[in-house]
Parts: sequence; structure tokens; C-alpha cells
Amino acid sequence: MELETTFHGTREFSEEDIIYFKKGIPGFENLKKFIVFDVEDNGVFSVLQSIEDKDIGIIVVSPFSWVKDYEFNLDKETEERLSINSSEEVLILNTVTLGSKLENVTINLRAPLIVNVKNKSGEQLILTEEKYEIKHPLFKEGV
Amino acid sequence: MLVIGRKKGEAFLIGEDIEITVVKVEDGTVKLAIDAPRSISILRKELYKEIQEENKSAIISDLSILKNINK
Repeated sequence: MELETTFHGTREFSEEDIIYFKKGIPGFENLKKFIVFDVEDNGVFSVLQSIEDKDIGIIVVSPFSWVKDYEFNLDKETEERLSINSSEEVLILNTVTLGSKLENVTINLRAPLIVNVKNKSGEQLILTEEKYEIKHPLFKEGV
Repeated sequence: MLVIGRKKGEAFLIGEDIEITVVKVEDGTVKLAIDAPRSISILRKELYKEIQEENKSAIISDLSILKNINK
């Protein structure tokens, strides 16, 4: 299948690439179906693109190579809702917000996106403990 | 919308398994004790709003900006 996005050209995908966010994600509660594609010539960032609203593509990144020791407890209820049986089924992505300067680029560590790659269901978890920030600088000590 | 008045120590029920008790009322702040199944997510509304805003600001319309941002 092909998706003509508003800002990121035409993206090829197949039915099994679609990640289903049953509750949508905060801010886009009405959008349930997304695909993830890697940003070309970059190798770091990906885009979580809605297939229901062609305007909506969110920058996401795998947090673990950026934030050492990033960890949180995946509660039983979320595991059950997403039918997660083993850790290999879990993909964690965090949203990234750009700023005018590199120092202003932030990653939202407070609300990781949890995806079961096996059954393609996803949810954005909001961590209740205050250990992690919504705007955590991606480049801590400059580059 | 239902609006109900409760005094300190009084409680109300939402459905069969959510119970909310007013624990303390002081200086314009109400302290509540919520007894609910773990499957019910309870969040301060400001936090949910902040996540909404953050998701919206993570929308990208020009991927070429990312070219200069690399690890």
C-alpha cells in the first residue's frame, strides 16, 4: 500500500506494518493507526506517521542509546492490554521535540511509546513517578 | 456533570470498584484518597495536558532539519 503524506512524500507500507493505538495518543486521541519509518540519511530518528491524518508525523527515537540507564517498570496492566509475553516483543520509542538550537532538542522520557512488535499494538505510557522529564535535553553536554 | 458536596472523612463511589474519600481540606487544597483497581489510570490532568502538548510539538514537517542532528 502507499500513503501519500503531506510532508514526507509517499511511503510504502503493508498491512502488517500498521501499529494500532487503541486509545490514540494524547493530543491525537482520534488517531489509532500509525506506521513507523526511518528518516533517510540519518539512522537515528524515525517518524511515527498517522495513516488516518496525513499531516501528522511525529519524530521518535529509541531512547536507550541516548539516555544511559533509562528504565521504567512496565506495569502488568499495560502488558496485558498489549498482550506482551516477552521483552523481545517490546519496542520502546520516545518523542523528540526540536528547538532552534541543538541544546534545545528534547526527548520526552516521561511518556514512552510502548509497541508490541508481534501483534502491532501500541500505547503511550505516562509514567507516574517523577524520575524522568517531559523535556529532557537530548544533547546534555553539547556535541 | 454531577457536582456533589462532601465533608472531610466522607466518600463517594464511582461504579462498583472506585471509592474516593476526602481526607483533608485545608487552605483551598483538597486531599483525596482514591481506591481503584490498578487497571484504572489516575493522572493529574496537568500532566496529561503537558504530554498532549509535547506530542503536538513533536510533529515534524521538514525532515531535512534532522540532517544536522546526529549522534
